[in-house]
Amino acid sequence: MGQQALNGIFVGSIYALFAVGYTLVFGVLDILNLAHQAIFMLAAFLALALVEAHLPLFVAMPVAIVAAGLIGIVLERVAFRPLRDRADSNISGLISSLAMATVFEAIAMQVFGPDISRFPLGTFPDRVIRVGSASASLLQVVIVAIALLLMAVLTVLLARTQLGRQIRAVAESPRAARILGVNVNRVIAAAFFLSSALGGAAGVLFALAFNSISPDVGRGVELKGLAVIILGGMGSIPGAVVAGFALGLLETFTVARFGSSFRDAVSFGVLIAVLLARPRGLFGQAAVREG
Amino acid sequence: MRDLFLAYQSLFAYVGINALLALSVYATLSCGQLSLANAGFMAIGAYTGALLTLHTGTSWPLVLVASALLPALVAVPLGLPVLRLRGVFLAIATIGFGEVVRLFFVNWSFANGALGLVAIPQRASLWLIWVCVGAALWVFARLRGSKTGLALQAIREDETAARSMGIDTTSHKLAMLSLGAGLAGLAGALEAHLTFMVSPAGFGFGRVVEMLVQAVVGGASIFFGPLLGAAFLTTLPEILRELSARTGLQPGAFRQMLNGLVLLAVILYLPNGLASLPARLRERKAVK
Amino acid sequence: MRFAKWSLLIVALVAGCKDNAPESPKEGAAAAPATIKIGAALSLTGPAASYGQQQKAGLAAALDELNAAGGPKIELLIEDDASTKEQGITVFQKFINRDKVAAIIGPTLSNTASAADPIAQQSGVPVLAVSNTAAKGITDIGDRIWRDSLTEAQVIPGALKKAQQKLGFKTAGVLYGNDDVFTKAGYDVMQKALVDQGIKEIGTQTFAKADRDYHAQLTALIAQKPDALVVSALADNAAAIVSQARQQGWTGPILGGNGFNSPAFIKNAGPAAEGVLAGTSWDSSSQSAVNQRFLKAMAKKGVNPDQFSAQAYTGLYILAEAIKQAGGKGSRDDITAGLAKVKDLDTPLGKFSFTAGRDAQHEPSVQIVKDGKFQIVQ
Repeated sequence: MGQQALNGIFVGSIYALFAVGYTLVFGVLDILNLAHQAIFMLAAFLALALVEAHLPLFVAMPVAIVAAGLIGIVLERVAFRPLRDRADSNISGLISSLAMATVFEAIAMQVFGPDISRFPLGTFPDRVIRVGSASASLLQVVIVAIALLLMAVLTVLLARTQLGRQIRAVAESPRAARILGVNVNRVIAAAFFLSSALGGAAGVLFALAFNSISPDVGRGVELKGLAVIILGGMGSIPGAVVAGFALGLLETFTVARFGSSFRDAVSFGVLIAVLLARPRGLFGQAAVREG
Repeated sequence: MRDLFLAYQSLFAYVGINALLALSVYATLSCGQLSLANAGFMAIGAYTGALLTLHTGTSWPLVLVASALLPALVAVPLGLPVLRLRGVFLAIATIGFGEVVRLFFVNWSFANGALGLVAIPQRASLWLIWVCVGAALWVFARLRGSKTGLALQAIREDETAARSMGIDTTSHKLAMLSLGAGLAGLAGALEAHLTFMVSPAGFGFGRVVEMLVQAVVGGASIFFGPLLGAAFLTTLPEILRELSARTGLQPGAFRQMLNGLVLLAVILYLPNGLASLPARLRERKAVK
Repeated sequence: MRFAKWSLLIVALVAGCKDNAPESPKEGAAAAPATIKIGAALSLTGPAASYGQQQKAGLAAALDELNAAGGPKIELLIEDDASTKEQGITVFQKFINRDKVAAIIGPTLSNTASAADPIAQQSGVPVLAVSNTAAKGITDIGDRIWRDSLTEAQVIPGALKKAQQKLGFKTAGVLYGNDDVFTKAGYDVMQKALVDQGIKEIGTQTFAKADRDYHAQLTALIAQKPDALVVSALADNAAAIVSQARQQGWTGPILGGNGFNSPAFIKNAGPAAEGVLAGTSWDSSSQSAVNQRFLKAMAKKGVNPDQFSAQAYTGLYILAEAIKQAGGKGSRDDITAGLAKVKDLDTPLGKFSFTAGRDAQHEPSVQIVKDGKFQIVQ
């Protein structure tokens, strides 16, 4: 059981980190960014390329994270900003993010090929830590630590800094924020930078954790990410964190108790149950967002 | 000429099936609801049809009716709770439903799980598929000018206002969800009896995304839009195949990228899809 | 006495010369051997792209060699089905009705084959599958469908038997991909083989093809302390499964099926691959002349071959042999008749023949990973 709990925390930390970026954009723009998983994937490939070019991991990772953030800014500019004033912006935003995801995957496929790659052996020291009867690798511990750190940084940023306040203002009501003098375009771009950077970080950590990088690696995580943000509450960062870990643990214990065939069904079952019983999730705002 | 037709016969058939699927998504889009459950409904219809054909002696017309009816019925208990959700939440709930259906078929050993059902006799002919498409188009065309059609449009424009005008928004939305489910189920059964086989792999999230994209690219504000979208996007890979054969360009990621770029271009510059192209061109000419 | 010996020698020489003379089909109106068109429907993009690309390389290598060796010239048309059955069907129809090919190789995926092969059967075009491993729904479509890829049912029981002989295990924990035709079919075979050999399956877990995290399943399996782990997975998942199993402290044997037989498995699993046993349809370490020739040809193309390229390369050679058996004639019926005559052909897969049901027949092998390479287990 202890080992399964560790497994759950481990995978949950990555779900949480992925979902935090996902939910941030939704909170700010009321749009589901289906290209989030593609940036997750591109960051992993970028970090891999840098490591293969003999850069140490602790340099490659931040570079990949920043690059992911920049791609997020481009994504926003190209695919979301032109649609902002449209009445059906959630649907059209969904579709245009989907189009961008397809383009990103095609680029990854062209540049890196369809095969699965992994970080070269020795990228991270191979050490095992024993906790009672359970064991965790040093890598796993570091991954959970980094994920928690990044999520804490984001939370502090949103709560304490001026940018954070502006992001929250725009999330509440872009019109009001604009009247109050906030440069809405820049704030949204910044939100996308943060969201995509975190998504990229999740991608690099995922690639390190599971030794699998491929152009379609984001697809599996994307749908789980949906379950996480629904459970946590759309737009709620603490919700995404809690729900990420909760879902990771739930999935792991479902496998331990009932077998893995039910694992994915449990995630979607939770998703549907939450939507039917308490659509705003654990920490979401009940109020309808005004434009 | 005949050989050319034979060579592309399946393509025409697939355009028809995809048109039915795009129309099934359009059904709910026409009243402003983004329902992404249709891959699940399609799966239910496809497996119903395949199992009836393979294990019972049910006649072909009855098989089709059952394959359309079952998903349409399933849509009701799904829709009642789920249609209360707004916008993106409805989309997500229906995505969840679709995945649950797919996982059910992956784990259902009676239907061979991932191996699927094979050797289904080919009963879906080209003309039958297009008769179904024609029938669906006729239904939507009739809806357009009718009172129901206007109600749907009102719901699409502003649901709260429509409700306050006395329109029973719940039953209208439910009816369209059910209609869409029936169309998707019918398309599923037709596809199963066209391609000789059915497996869970064809009913994932990617499939419903394809349907949505075809509906939107064709134009989700008019009933023949989805047909245009289905025709264009189903034949696009074959057009690109010819192009790469003639220019020597290697097939590969290039095709996938083009799909993405076409979609992006349509969403950004032609929001009402290909169906709105003639009107837009006329507008531009008038302005000049 | 001397005269008898000399005359015997002369007769032998003359007889030997006659056998070595190149065949020149002089009968009938078709005097000179025309170009024979063969279509290859491969998944060059989409989820099965890595297999399709390997197949393309294998086919290209075989094509170069065959056309250089003389005999009827083969024109190979390669089309991408994007790993979807819709495009698979369209490609088959294009090959059959527009390009008028004499035979088709492929498609890569069994699902696509179930949908597209019936069309070829109806039109009388022979299809040689080079990677379809589904037990049902391929060759039983009809007498025009053939395959050179061994199914898991032909590979796994033998592998399991040999593994048990060497290691003597009594219980097994099984992990398999339940949403993919190949791995699910593999599991069905494994399940039965375990029962047949008196090995108790004490734990069973599944994963989806898109999964990358197997910790929960592995923890659950390992907790029951099986003697061995048996895995039905494709190379990409297999590498991660094996790595994560070792990471969790599993030191026992790991046995896999055909899906493990790929350099990608060794590359991605790294040191965790050491000692892993795999039942395979292609012995990459075989020292046979024809296998070495194949390996060299692939090395020249800069491709690290796996069984997909080996089976594709073999496939084109099988078709060439069928054409030869048909006297150099390349119509659809000729090739079909010729395929039936292919017997004990020397291929990288070993001595190849078809079974009565048009399935592949050759000796499978059991391999173990030693020092980062696959080696045959005697």
